[in-house]
Amino acid sequence: MLRAAAAVEKLGIPTVSILGSGFLKQAEVVMRGLGVSLSVGVYPGAPMVDSHETLAGKVEQSLAPGLLAGLTGEDSPVAPKFASVTKKEAEPGPDDVVFSGDYDRVQSYFHKQLWTDGLPIAPPTRARVDAFLKFTDLPPDHVIRVIPQEGREASVHSIAVTGVMAGCRPEYMPVLIAVVECISDPRYRIADAGSTPGMEHMVIIGGPIARQLDVNTGQGVMRFGRQANTSIGRFLRMYIRNICGFRIPPGAGDKCSIGQSILVALGEDEESAREVGWPTYAEDRGFAAGSNVVTCRSVVSITSPIYSAGEDPAVHVQQWTDVIGGSFTYWAHAGFKTGLWSPLILASPSVAGVIARHWTKDQVRQYLFERIKVSAGKATHYAQQTSTPTFNFERLVEQGILPPRYTQSDDPDRLVNVIIDPKMVEIIVAGDPGRNQARAYMSNHVQGPPTSREVRLPADWDEMLKQASED
Amino acid sequence: MSEQSNEPKFDVLWPLSRKGVEDVARAARLPDLNGKVICELWDVIFRGETIYPMVREYIKKRFPGVTFVTYENFGNFHGARESEVMATIPERLRHFKADAVIAGIGA
Repeated sequence: MLRAAAAVEKLGIPTVSILGSGFLKQAEVVMRGLGVSLSVGVYPGAPMVDSHETLAGKVEQSLAPGLLAGLTGEDSPVAPKFASVTKKEAEPGPDDVVFSGDYDRVQSYFHKQLWTDGLPIAPPTRARVDAFLKFTDLPPDHVIRVIPQEGREASVHSIAVTGVMAGCRPEYMPVLIAVVECISDPRYRIADAGSTPGMEHMVIIGGPIARQLDVNTGQGVMRFGRQANTSIGRFLRMYIRNICGFRIPPGAGDKCSIGQSILVALGEDEESAREVGWPTYAEDRGFAAGSNVVTCRSVVSITSPIYSAGEDPAVHVQQWTDVIGGSFTYWAHAGFKTGLWSPLILASPSVAGVIARHWTKDQVRQYLFERIKVSAGKATHYAQQTSTPTFNFERLVEQGILPPRYTQSDDPDRLVNVIIDPKMVEIIVAGDPGRNQARAYMSNHVQGPPTSREVRLPADWDEMLKQASED
Repeated sequence: MSEQSNEPKFDVLWPLSRKGVEDVARAARLPDLNGKVICELWDVIFRGETIYPMVREYIKKRFPGVTFVTYENFGNFHGARESEVMATIPERLRHFKADAVIAGIGA
């Protein structure tokens, strides 16, 4: 919302924005990132839980007077006072030493500056950072994008520094660059990474580089404990915190209401995928077989483990249907509003093998699409309770956001597809070959849709990797 | 732990990166809204369908000559088609001869 207001101010038109009182600290971070001081009218508390009378009183006493003051420029006791966001404080340069001390004092300093995720960091000395920079042919000052929400440069140098701090190894650098390229894509909407649902972000690694970097693709996948998976997952969360500027209190900028733990990176067991006869995830994403590919996507919800048995593919996929339907149907309304959400199914090689003997991935997608349904009235209720009292399928279909099948009748008991389009279902083979398990992950509608980049390796990758493995 | 320990000392680099945005001068405010056009932008959440009419009424009490162009004329600027809708906003504001904008709702 403040980004829209800033765009209008650039046109020379004064704006004032409606903001809940719980969002003022984030607003200041956003304004600094946009480089503009914006006027705000404040709604005290949360409008979704107030009675009509309470809401009217708050509008009359606080919000409307604040909006009026914001438009006229008058002083008002209800208009929030922000620190000047255009007055720049001098900051160090990217290669400046900002502190010297032993390990504990470095940790303490970084914690106080809100530059850590709460865990100790590996001290980003120049030697360590330089070791990372050797693993890319890009110069340190190469900027992928000026990235929201603090408006900082997503530079190669910043990737190396964060990689050091997160406990990565230098040879992970090509993957780390691809990760930042993914989240820098405007379609990824990293500007919304601090939204209240508290989504996390998943890194998916495919191609020969997964094996080269010792990425876990098998038993224990998605568990902390393997350096590549853990540190690359931590890197992404730390980058979103430090460079993008999403910090929970005592910082500001991250309005996640109730969060979840960070996700370690996921590697696909491509060998098993090929053995069962399915295309790899990277191939599903449009890349040639054997390409090194990184994909980032949001995760707002995770199912329980899904166990399924027997040689009938329909039995396995029906289990997926039941659990995914039970877990993700509620939040699908957020996807209905935007026309996009994506379930990712992680299938162990044993389960994938049974299904793949009979069905293609597209057949699995179609089965899930056709069978997971919710009543239109229930989905409308969920949307209205969350944030959108005006939610209705008719308008979404009129606007072309949803296909016409969502309004084939006006019966609130009619069943509509939870999965908007079968193509939105993603399937990856990974996990314990010795167990008949799957698990599914739900993206947060248009915030963090699956976004992929091919990994660019340095010219002398093989030799560098060989040397690194000997260290 | 102190500097007197036998542990090595680390010279650590700044872990952030340069700001890459230019400051934008905010537009001049409008002390008198009579005769002015206020356009509404809404992201279709948090009870704007109730709040915006109340705000209109409040502002009109003080400035009866103000005109509102309601949010239905602009589309959801933070929804499924954020970039497409935002691309149309400048032309829409020119079309309606906007003097000011109320944007909401973040809550």
